[in-house]
Amino acid sequence: MGQKVELACIIDDDKIYVNLVKKIIEIKKLSENLLIFKNGMEALNHFKLILENATEETLPDIIFLDINMPIMDGWEFLNEFIKIKNNFEKKITLYMVSSSIDPRDLERAKSFNLVTDYLIKPIELKKFEKIFDRNSNAAA
Amino acid sequence: MLNDLQLNSILEDFDIAYWKINLLNKEVSWSEHFDTLVGKPEFSESHFEYFLKEILHQDYRYDFRLYFDKLTEENEAFCIELKLKLSNGKYRWFECRNLKNRENNKEIAVLLFVNIHQSKRDQYTIEENFFYYRETAQMTNTGGWYIDTQNKNIYWDNVTKKIIDCPLDYQPPYEEHFRFYAPEEHPVVISAFEKCEKYGIPFKVELKMRNLYNKDFWVRATGKPVYNEDQDIIGIRGVFQDINEQKVNELNLQNSLDIIATQNSRLFNFAHIVSHHLRSHSSNLCLIVELLKEAKTDKDKIELIPNVADISENLDSAINELNEIVNKQSVLRKERRIISFEKALSGVMASTSSLINRENAKIVAEFHALKEISYIPEYLESILLNLITNAIKYKHPGRKPVIYIQTYIKNETPFLEVSDNGLGIDLDQYGDKMFGMYKTFHENLDSRGIGLFITKNQVETLGGSISVTSTVDVGTTFKINF
Repeated sequence: MGQKVELACIIDDDKIYVNLVKKIIEIKKLSENLLIFKNGMEALNHFKLILENATEETLPDIIFLDINMPIMDGWEFLNEFIKIKNNFEKKITLYMVSSSIDPRDLERAKSFNLVTDYLIKPIELKKFEKIFDRNSNAAA
Repeated sequence: MLNDLQLNSILEDFDIAYWKINLLNKEVSWSEHFDTLVGKPEFSESHFEYFLKEILHQDYRYDFRLYFDKLTEENEAFCIELKLKLSNGKYRWFECRNLKNRENNKEIAVLLFVNIHQSKRDQYTIEENFFYYRETAQMTNTGGWYIDTQNKNIYWDNVTKKIIDCPLDYQPPYEEHFRFYAPEEHPVVISAFEKCEKYGIPFKVELKMRNLYNKDFWVRATGKPVYNEDQDIIGIRGVFQDINEQKVNELNLQNSLDIIATQNSRLFNFAHIVSHHLRSHSSNLCLIVELLKEAKTDKDKIELIPNVADISENLDSAINELNEIVNKQSVLRKERRIISFEKALSGVMASTSSLINRENAKIVAEFHALKEISYIPEYLESILLNLITNAIKYKHPGRKPVIYIQTYIKNETPFLEVSDNGLGIDLDQYGDKMFGMYKTFHENLDSRGIGLFITKNQVETLGGSISVTSTVDVGTTFKINF
């Protein structure tokens, strides 16, 4: 195994799903730390704070972004995220994650350059490991 | 004077054959030309009987024999048109007449056979064409017209007059003939006529005309320029086809198609939303199963059990919600009734009294401008219920919820407005999603994101529409146009 991912981030309003992913990451020791937001707005505000140097925290290496969320959904988050992403000092890998199998969602996700892949829930454990593995190597 | 030989040759040139009839013994002899036309008879037969039996078309046998007898017995002149079978086996039209007997010759009569096949056929063709034209014009409701731009006159044929619904002796006014087109078509019509009159450009358009009694109807119109010998345009000629029935059907069909397309896309969305919503739970179950497989100790496994309980609870409530939506949609079978707003509201208030009392909400209703409406009562109640509970759910934390409900009629359309003094919402950001399924905008635990989706569906199912205006921290107004 390569080096672990330092900081992963989940933006999702499904508490059960988040809990389970958290468990997977713990059991498989995929990431040192985990950031969790329950909608796009919370995540966006946090990232903006980092950019303004208002906090000591760091940016995640990898983001798992849900589509359907209250307040600010995944698409809206993406549109806002694009505006600020050039200010980041490191590369952030972003995955769209949804239980939607609507091909229109897949197409739309593909239209964003900064979306690395569109993952359909449920994501298998092995897939998780692969994703983390790939990104830790890249980061190393 | 011409001799017999010369005469014969002239007759032949004009394709005229003849008979010589001996009036004393009624014997008939044929001219050479007649022989070649129809072919000679067998030796033994008399020319006359052979002619009747083999040459003359059977339709004329009776008449011909009658005329022949009158001629031979009473010397009475005759002239009939008949069909003869030629030597090639085909029937041709001939005119048969007896030559005037100038010298009062009691012994010999001459019967001329003139080939009139071509003119007969032309006449037939003309009659036939006229028949087809008339039948086509009537069947397709197509009328002809001519505009004499030189003398400023308009001519309409009878079918056109029928289409315009004017009397047959009606004379269309030249200067005002645009009154027979619907006002919105005037630019199109004027430009089409102008281009045709000035530059000879023909036109073919579908447009709305207006009959004598100002009733609008659809026609297909064509127009072509008419030139004089000097190639100047002297008028426009064309047809109107009344296509009102087809056009109205077409428009209705298009309309139904649009409705079906919208419904279809709504169903498609619904299916995807349902699938998404159910999948999110089933995918969590899959994750748990994987984790259970990975778990090394019993303790790890037991720790996962509460998650299974949560998922099954969520799945159950998701299915219940979908059931609720489907049930509300299927009220479609119910019929509209006249229902008073007052009554509908009091029903809703009774069923939400605990919520209203808990939040100390004030509901003000003004129904005097429009007291009742023909609607599906269950829908009206559901709409009021959703809007009222929404208003209370998203109340402003700093004040008691006040809900103002009002009905009125504007431009002959009934309206219902429900306004509140609640949180309000940023419509620039969320406007288009307000009525979407599972869209929630406030961090409220009992937000399910299906209330407004159902309301919009109910309103639209009955042919209405719903719109929203809102100001953050001031309040929200929903406006339903029934």
